[in-house]
Amino acid sequence: MTELFEAFRVTVQGWAEAGLLPSSLAYGFAVNALLAGVIIGPVLGLLGTLVVVKRHAFFSEAVGHSAMTGVAIGILLGEPYSGPYGALFGYCLLFGLGLNYLRNRTGLSADTLIGVFLSMSLALGAAVLLVLAGRINVHILENVLFGSILTVSGVDIALLAVVALLVTVPMLLFYNRFMLASFNPALAQVRQVPVKALDYLFVVLVTLVTVASVKVIGAILVGALLVIPAAAAKILATSLSRFVGLSMLFSLIATLCGILIPMEMELPIPSGAAIILVAGSLFLLSVLARSLLPGLRGAVT
Amino acid sequence: MNAMNGWFKRGAEPIAAAGPQVQFDNVSLQYGQTRVLDGIDLTLSAAEVHALVGPNGGGKSSLVRCLLGLAPHRGTIKLAWPGSPGQIGYVPQALEFDRSLPMSVIDFLAAMQTRRPAFLRPARRQRQQIVDALERVGLGSKAERRMGDLSGGERQRVMMAQGLMPEPKLLILDEPMAALDEAGVAIFESLICELKTEGVTLLWVEHDLAAVRRLADRVTGLNRRLLFSGDPAEELTPERVLDLFSSHPTQRPKKILQRKDQKEMISD
Repeated sequence: MTELFEAFRVTVQGWAEAGLLPSSLAYGFAVNALLAGVIIGPVLGLLGTLVVVKRHAFFSEAVGHSAMTGVAIGILLGEPYSGPYGALFGYCLLFGLGLNYLRNRTGLSADTLIGVFLSMSLALGAAVLLVLAGRINVHILENVLFGSILTVSGVDIALLAVVALLVTVPMLLFYNRFMLASFNPALAQVRQVPVKALDYLFVVLVTLVTVASVKVIGAILVGALLVIPAAAAKILATSLSRFVGLSMLFSLIATLCGILIPMEMELPIPSGAAIILVAGSLFLLSVLARSLLPGLRGAVT
Repeated sequence: MNAMNGWFKRGAEPIAAAGPQVQFDNVSLQYGQTRVLDGIDLTLSAAEVHALVGPNGGGKSSLVRCLLGLAPHRGTIKLAWPGSPGQIGYVPQALEFDRSLPMSVIDFLAAMQTRRPAFLRPARRQRQQIVDALERVGLGSKAERRMGDLSGGERQRVMMAQGLMPEPKLLILDEPMAALDEAGVAIFESLICELKTEGVTLLWVEHDLAAVRRLADRVTGLNRRLLFSGDPAEELTPERVLDLFSSHPTQRPKKILQRKDQKEMISD
C-alpha cells in the first residue's frame, strides 16, 4: 500500500517537473493533499445525498462544528496540535449520539434541540480555546480549524483511505434502507428496516467522515461539504443516479480545485475555505442554470 | 383443521386461502393517559376482505399499527397461516413526499424493494418486477416520471404498487382511496377483486362506506371499542352509520353500548 503510494507520488512529481501537470505538484506535500482530496471528496458527496434526503443538513453542520470543540479538548489533554484524533473522534461521536438519543426523548423538534446543543458545544469550545490561548500559540490551531494541506502526512492518507472504506461500505449496503426510513418510518419497519439502529449508524458515519476530513477541510467548514455539493446536485438532477453522480462529482471538483488553486496562484488561503468557496460557486452556478434552463425544473415535457 | 380452513366457499366457487387468519385477542393500546383501543376481540378469516370503519380518532390506524408490531399494545394478535408464513404488505396513508427530490418512480420503488443501491440502475429482473407492479395499478407508462411530478392520486397508486411487492399474502391498506381520482378508484377496486381471487387476506381501513358495501366480505366498526362486526349489507344500516360517525367515544348510543356489554360478559 505505502509502496504503491510512494510510486504514485514519484510519478506525479515527475510529470509535474516535466510540465505535464501543474507545477505545484512537484512538491511531495501537494501530492499528499491532492490524494487526500481525491479520497475524501466523493465519499463526502455520496454521504451528502443522504444528509439532504434525510434533512439532516443542520445536524451534520452541528457535528462538524463540534469538531472544533473536540480539537480544543484534545490539545488541552496533550494530544499533538496537528492531529488530535482521539478527542476529536470521541467528542464528535458523543455529541452526535447524545443528540440522536435525546431527539426521541425531549419532545422538542430536531432543529430546536440541535440549536441548544450546538450553542453549548461552541461555548465549551470557545472556553477551552481561550484557556489554550494562554499556553500555546493559537495560530497553530488555524490549521485544524480551517484546514491545511501542508500537514497531510502519509499516515493521514492511510487513515483517510481506511475511513473512506469504513463509511462507503455500510453506506452502499444500507443506502436504500436509509432512504426508506426517511420516507416513511412505519413502512420501513414493516419492511424489516431497523429504523432506530440506522439513525445511530448514520451518526457514526457522519462523525467518521467529519473527523477524517478535518485535516484537509478543517473543523469549522467540514459540515458544509456534506451539504453544498448534494444541494447543488439536487437542483440539477432529474433522477436518483444523476443526483448521486453529480453530488460526488461536485464534491471532488471542490476538493481538487480548493487544494490546487491556492497553490498555483500562491494565495495564502486555507484549503478548507478554498474548497467551500469552490463548492459554493458550483451551487450558485447550479441555481443560475436552473433558472435559465426550464428543463431542469422538472417540468413535464 | 388447517386444511379445512384453507377452503372457503364464496358464492359458488371455492377459493384457496393463501393468506392467514388474524386473531386479535383483548388488544388494548394506551398512550399516556389516553386509551386508544380498549379490549378489541376480532377475528379476520383467511382470504376475506375485511373493512375497518369508524370515526377519525376512533383507533382504526392504531389497530393497524398494533397488527404491524409498531405500537406497544396489550393482548395478543395471532396469525394462523395456511402453510408457511407469507409476505405481509402494507400501504400507509398518503405519503408526504419532498416534491423536489430527484427520484423517478422506478428509483423510489427500487429503494423499497431491493438492496442494491437505488442510484445504480436496478437489475433487469427487478426492474421487470417493478414495472409489472406498476402496470397492475395502471402506471406502467409513468415508470420514469419523477415522483414529485405525479398527482396525489398517482402517488397513492405507487404506494399500492409498493404493497404488491413482494407478492403479499396478507395486505393491510390504510385509507388507500383517500387521495385517489376516479380512474384510480376503478383500478383499486378491480385490484381488490383480483387479490380476493388469489386468496389474499385483506384488512382495509376505509371511509367510503359505499365502497365497503361493494367490496368487503365483512365490516368492523371501531370507536375505541369494537362496535359491530359482520356482513356489510346487514351491519351498515342507515341509523348505525349515523351513530358511528356522529357519536363521541364517551357517549355511545344505547343500542351499541348494550351490545358491547354483552360481549364483555361473554369474554370475561
